[in-house]
Amino acid sequence: MIRIVHIFKELGRNLWRNPGTALASLLSLTLLFLLFDLFWIAAGTSDQFYRSLLSGIQVEVYVAENVPDSAVVQIGDDLLMLPGVATMEFVSREQARQELTRLVGTDLLVGYDEANPLPRSFLLTIEDDYLTATGLQEIEERASALEATDGVYYSRGWLEKAEETKSIILKLGLVLGILIFSTAVISSANNIRLMTRARAVGFRQMMLLGAGRAFISLPFIIEGFFISGLAAAAGWLTIMYARTRIGFSQIEIVYPLLDETVIFCSAVALLGAVASFLGISRQLRE
Amino acid sequence: MDELSQTKVDSSLADEPRPRVIELRDVSLKADRGGHVFRDLNLSVETGRSAVIIGSAGSGKTTLLELLIGLRFAETGTVEVFGREIRRRRRGAIRKIRRKIGGVGGPFGLMPMLTVSENICLPLVLAAERKRIKQERLLKMLTEFSLLKVASKYPSNLTRVETSMVQYARASIAFQPLLLIDEPSAGLDPHSYERIFTYLTREALSGRSMVIFMSEPPEAQIPNSDTYRLVSGALE
Repeated sequence: MIRIVHIFKELGRNLWRNPGTALASLLSLTLLFLLFDLFWIAAGTSDQFYRSLLSGIQVEVYVAENVPDSAVVQIGDDLLMLPGVATMEFVSREQARQELTRLVGTDLLVGYDEANPLPRSFLLTIEDDYLTATGLQEIEERASALEATDGVYYSRGWLEKAEETKSIILKLGLVLGILIFSTAVISSANNIRLMTRARAVGFRQMMLLGAGRAFISLPFIIEGFFISGLAAAAGWLTIMYARTRIGFSQIEIVYPLLDETVIFCSAVALLGAVASFLGISRQLRE
Repeated sequence: MDELSQTKVDSSLADEPRPRVIELRDVSLKADRGGHVFRDLNLSVETGRSAVIIGSAGSGKTTLLELLIGLRFAETGTVEVFGREIRRRRRGAIRKIRRKIGGVGGPFGLMPMLTVSENICLPLVLAAERKRIKQERLLKMLTEFSLLKVASKYPSNLTRVETSMVQYARASIAFQPLLLIDEPSAGLDPHSYERIFTYLTREALSGRSMVIFMSEPPEAQIPNSDTYRLVSGALE
């Protein structure tokens, strides 16, 4: 107990004697983590937007002209059996004509009542797992392989572009994450190093009395833990406050869940402890 | 003062060979600038006995002290304290040995960011002693070494005599069985030195082992002690 009291007294002394360093450390880390949080929200929101766009993707499969109407039901069943196909809807020539009329605003096929040239087709909705360029390509190949089909269409170009954009955002996030965490570690370690440099003589004396490295470094490790954790929490609190003040009607902003933010803050606190250990370990070499 | 540092010595064991607190065998150490600091140095201190080592400035007294607390390591030969060999990469063992040693002078200084009371109590903190015992012993130490008035001061505000007294108090508070002192008279006025010499005599009589490093021989013999001269890297 007496050792624990001593450790926490030391922690208090550290903060009391170096309030400027502690505050600077807290503020700079808060800013860093705030940046990271904003990117996290941006990435989550863009991912949600991407998913909502993807969920609207439909695959159109056109039926060959020579296929009699009596065979259409079987084709539909075959398409529904394909892996990744969630639902199937048949679009007759007449429905296609009505849709075209709706889109254009006037019936372009007046006079063609007897010989509607529009093809019959199936509209497929796709399971979430297959809503990727590779997944849709697989469905396209399988649908095209059916003898009764005459073409498969979907927004291939758009999908590829969207996937590419998503990949870039992910890579950017990774780089930004590495940069921010490296900065946080280096900054925390340096702050602790600066604080402990002047106390190297004292550490040496404590070691001469038989104090272990853990005993000496624990107050600093706890300090790093608290400051980093606090900075991460402060970043989120700032965002939570901003959330109550600012509203977006056009875009649905996706915020991380509470347990995710708790895990994030805990991880950051641990990172701060590790950084502090790195900062003080050099001073503890005999 | 003696009451605090009493170590019971069984008189029936007086004639039997006692375990050695310190055992140095054929220790050699080269100086950084060439030559030898020690050459086949041997020293043996039994439990309850003390060694007074006299040597001129630069003879290697402080280096010898550093060997005993694991700040330096012998190049050849062995250094054992409390039966444990002091070797590089044995931090755990060295730490345990250091907790049994009270040190004054030389490399032993005070923690500048701790008050006098906190400095004195550090060995008890490291030994995880209870708060009540800590407070009792602290009060006795402060009284015995006349440090009550400076108990809450920081080392930077102490006189040299007070600093020495704090070191002696710290070296005694946890009943450490071995006391290492580098130049006991350093920084002390004649009156304070007399007090310290009385303290050392009582400690020696109580059976506490000590190794005292001095430039000049003491005016009076310390009880239960052997005197050595450190000359040319060896003890005579």
